[in-house]
Amino acid sequence: MRRLKAIGALVAAGVLAAACSAGKGGGSGSGTTKATNVVTISNENGALWTCGFSPFNGSDTLLTVGFVYEPLVYVNALQNGKTTPMLATSWQWGAGNTSLTFTIRKNVKFSDGTAMTPADVVYTFNLLKKYPALDLTGDWSVLSSVTQTGSDQVTMKFKHAAVPAFYFIAGQTPIVPQHIWSKISNPVSFADSKPVGTGPYKVNPCTKQNITYTANPHYWQSGLPKITKVQYPAFTSNNTANDQLASGQAQWGSQYIPSIKSFYTAKSPSFHYWFPPTVNVSLIPNLKNSLLANVKVRQAMAYAIDREKVSSIGESGYEPPANQAGIVTPTFSSWLDSSLTGKYNYTYNPAKAKQILASAGFKMGSDGIMANSKGQKLSFSVINIGDYSDWVASMQVVAQNLKAVGIQVTPDNLTNTDFTAAIYTGKFQLAYYDQQTFGPSPYYELRNWLDSAGTAPIGKTAATNYERYSNPATDKLFSQYAASTSVSQQHAIINQVQQVMLSQLPIIPVVQAVDWYQWDDSSLSGWPTPSNPYAQPAAYSYPDAEQVLLHLRSK
Amino acid sequence: MSMPISGVPTAPDTGQLPGTAPGPAGAGQARLPARHALARMGRAIRSNRKAAAGTVLLAIFLFAALFPGLIAHDDPGADAYQPKLGISTAHLLGTTAQGQDMWAQLVWGTRNVMIIAFVVGLAATGIAVLIGVAAAYLGGLWDGSLSLLTDVLLVIPLFPLLIIIAGYAHGGGTLVLILVITVTSWSYTARQLRSQALSLRKRDFLEAARVRGERRLYIVVVEIIPTMTSLIVAAFLTNALYAVLFASSLQFIGLGDPNTQSWGTMLYWAQNNAALQTGQPMWALAPGACIAALGAAFALLNYAFDEIGNPALRPVRRKRVTRA
Amino acid sequence: MRFALRRLGFFVITLWAALTLNFLLPRLMPGNPALAMLSKFHGQLGPGTLHALEVLFGVNTQKGLLAQYFSYLHQVFTGNFGPSLDFYPEPVTSVIGSAIWWTLGLVGIVTILAFLLGTGLGIVSAWRRGGRLDSVLPPVFVITSAIPYFWMGMVLVLIFGITLGWLPTEGGYYVSTDSPGLNLTFFQDVLSHAALPALALLITTIGTWILTMRNTMITTLAEDYVRMARAKGLPGRRIMVDYAARNAILPNLTGFAMSLGFVVSGAILIEYVFNYPGVGYMLLQAVQGEDYPLEQALFLLITVAVLVAILIADIATALLDPRTRTGG
Repeated sequence: MRRLKAIGALVAAGVLAAACSAGKGGGSGSGTTKATNVVTISNENGALWTCGFSPFNGSDTLLTVGFVYEPLVYVNALQNGKTTPMLATSWQWGAGNTSLTFTIRKNVKFSDGTAMTPADVVYTFNLLKKYPALDLTGDWSVLSSVTQTGSDQVTMKFKHAAVPAFYFIAGQTPIVPQHIWSKISNPVSFADSKPVGTGPYKVNPCTKQNITYTANPHYWQSGLPKITKVQYPAFTSNNTANDQLASGQAQWGSQYIPSIKSFYTAKSPSFHYWFPPTVNVSLIPNLKNSLLANVKVRQAMAYAIDREKVSSIGESGYEPPANQAGIVTPTFSSWLDSSLTGKYNYTYNPAKAKQILASAGFKMGSDGIMANSKGQKLSFSVINIGDYSDWVASMQVVAQNLKAVGIQVTPDNLTNTDFTAAIYTGKFQLAYYDQQTFGPSPYYELRNWLDSAGTAPIGKTAATNYERYSNPATDKLFSQYAASTSVSQQHAIINQVQQVMLSQLPIIPVVQAVDWYQWDDSSLSGWPTPSNPYAQPAAYSYPDAEQVLLHLRSK
Repeated sequence: MSMPISGVPTAPDTGQLPGTAPGPAGAGQARLPARHALARMGRAIRSNRKAAAGTVLLAIFLFAALFPGLIAHDDPGADAYQPKLGISTAHLLGTTAQGQDMWAQLVWGTRNVMIIAFVVGLAATGIAVLIGVAAAYLGGLWDGSLSLLTDVLLVIPLFPLLIIIAGYAHGGGTLVLILVITVTSWSYTARQLRSQALSLRKRDFLEAARVRGERRLYIVVVEIIPTMTSLIVAAFLTNALYAVLFASSLQFIGLGDPNTQSWGTMLYWAQNNAALQTGQPMWALAPGACIAALGAAFALLNYAFDEIGNPALRPVRRKRVTRA
Repeated sequence: MRFALRRLGFFVITLWAALTLNFLLPRLMPGNPALAMLSKFHGQLGPGTLHALEVLFGVNTQKGLLAQYFSYLHQVFTGNFGPSLDFYPEPVTSVIGSAIWWTLGLVGIVTILAFLLGTGLGIVSAWRRGGRLDSVLPPVFVITSAIPYFWMGMVLVLIFGITLGWLPTEGGYYVSTDSPGLNLTFFQDVLSHAALPALALLITTIGTWILTMRNTMITTLAEDYVRMARAKGLPGRRIMVDYAARNAILPNLTGFAMSLGFVVSGAILIEYVFNYPGVGYMLLQAVQGEDYPLEQALFLLITVAVLVAILIADIATALLDPRTRTGG
């Protein structure tokens, strides 16, 4: 017995000793890449890799579009749609903006050595037409035909003028090789584990825990990419990914890091972060609710919410306060109509909120909740995604803000699936959510919120217009915008949309969602920065990740 | 969350799943009316150090649960202060990353924990008494099937089952937690109670009652149960301890309602905000210490009851022999 | 023999109960959770997968409950647990395969260490009744038995991981720099990542071993044959080991079986705190991600593992201790 105990103790001591020595060595330092043309990404995806790389599979796009597959043009949403020709060298809108002709770049090869031709472009688009499940960006909702019209030209015809669709068609649709995809019997379920594309990287190899990308020797931009290897580990928890960033093992982060200064930037002078705002996270009223349909109630809410506090307490200051005009700043500051802010100034003003409610006939009850003459109380539930702890914290602040003016709001934290089911079908009173797509101007987000094409009656699925807002005048604004390529006209139209947001308050933006981005420039340079926003900087942005990787080089 | 400390070792009983002791030796010997038993317990508590310590701890938490406003003056839910402040006279434990006063959260959270502990403790013990005593007294097929039910539930790992059920229920408030934990955790104490009830069956006073012609229910309620008072109290303490540990664990992993004030939800928020890694260790340490302290109170009292029942386990106080 | 048969019978019954629970739970919950899950994957699931999910969760089926039950049992026994939804389209069985070794390693080694250390300490403490060890241990371990597992983990993270910086606190190994393989760096990496979780699990589970062993020893030491051995003048250590401990250890074995359920809960929570990639962590991820097929399969796996362990412990006890065989 004693002997057994002694052996056990010895074994334990030996294990601990080995572990400690490994711990010290394997911790900070030895993990960092000595070979400096390697970059490691830290982006928690919540699951292990399935090693599927189909560019048309929604869960795999961020791993493959940009790395392996490329679009025709790179459109930078952070620089108001600045374009960089990729697989297309130039393009031209036809008369009435109902046709678009691309000149396809010559001497481009796929990673298996085969030449890329306009036929591949035509094939790709027609593949999406044949299998709508692959058309993730909805190209064919506006396209009517795509054909080759010259030795190196492809012409696309539109059902109606849809200039903003350029962002999706030219900037987000990956071009796939016809000689491979035409042989696949069911492209919808095709995993594409050994993807062949025109992009700067090949997948070699992929395991559940890590994807290694190596440089494509046939890449059409000679001398690029300078980064010859990219490691993309799979993280199932935020904390583990944050840890790898903070220890210097990963250089490119796309993480939500609580208390980022003490957790990350304090650890090294070469650690930086930048969170460019993209879309609004808004309090969404169900406009079919009789109390919420009253614009004064919504106005009162807009005055009662302390957006600064939601930003600093709920989002640790990472997501700046939004404005009621719905224009995300500073990303789209040039679109903000300053003349309107004088007229509608929705700052934090609880006294004014109470005033407005009083003028609408609401009186404070003995329970601290405002009620109208019919006895209807301003008491609502707000659905929220329980998984997003920062949104839960934000709603706690909002609930406290609204309580102070007599509006009772009870958070109902749902699972992801329950939440999306409820918000799509309009089974809610208030909701807290943001749009899932971002584009190179405020049009993209605001159209999703306000265009009646995106809404549906309660009980049916509304794709993007959850609050059930419908106004033909507003719809007309959006179709006018879509028909025009004139920048000044676009600005004028967006000004009118801002007027709608400020006077009708269909939704109440609270804070602005951001791209999560951290970088370590101790051995690599060429990172996107606030002064040089050449691409959306998060590793999960596609195809922007390609631009970042093409700019990076070792110091 | 280790096994409850059962004083007397497992002499295998009736060949079923190796169970627990046939109950503290003392309580079964003579038949005592309930109030004598309670008075005896009171005296025993005062003289036993562990019991005294446990009682004091429990009393502190009860006070905090009943009168939180007297101890903490801030609103625990209000994001009213500067976030991430350290310990100071204004904020005894500092503030959270959301600007809430931690001391207030800790004190007000006691109520939720105590409610869960007592409600689950009582309900689970009630079920355990019902099933344990019924199985022992009814015997035969009843005993067989009830014992089987108990043993099966005893062996199925409870925590994964709780996780699955809470997951299907999409998390949920305190009520869901109470229901779910009560329904699954009575089996251990049911076994203990059954064992003791079995050992009492053949006692003379029960034979006398039967011969007198008393109804079965009368015998069970008036004769058997009061004799088992100390074990029932011990069972309550065990169930309360588990309730606290299970409930805070479920809240910690996010299966409770994150908007309630409780120690488990404090830990959930601390974990989500990487409190340990960002220099806010109090946020994680304080609620955990409270859970440990409350659990220790229950465990100390439980242990003390075992010692009261089984004199062999009492601490031996060796007299210091002074050299002549 | 009869004893073994009875234990086997109990094992089968409990297995059946777990399977039935697994079958009934999703069907009993208000608003079948699987319906929401199916709508999430609308259009993406192949017919075979769809059918497997129908059988597991009872959605879109016209069959009566009993018929569903039999198809469910049939499917489970052929090892078809459906696809994992978080890792779609990978089947649940292969997803679990990647995690199970981590848990087996962690829990297995810790249990052995806890058994050895705990039993040893318990024996010594009982032998020296009233000594320093004996008076300190019980209250200390009463308190550690009340410490939530995950909190122990957090304390260790704070002390050893953050303040002292000696050991890593996240994951199973450095995913971005090491790849699994039979080399020394990987092995060292795994050990250093396992150290803190193992320590946490050890500290919280060892208390039971020590105290149960101590209490068993105390009772055994009071037995007549021990007194006889003392009277005969046998050396103390020999009595402690050969007479008392050997007999006291057996109830401990069965206590081990009962405490296995708690070791499992402890492992789950500790894996969560350390993001250790085992089946416990995977269960929590599956619940958070609403991956119902994976949840179900993991629950069954954990239950079966516990049942098998208990069965083995019972049979071992029966073989070693004749008293149990005669007890019924």
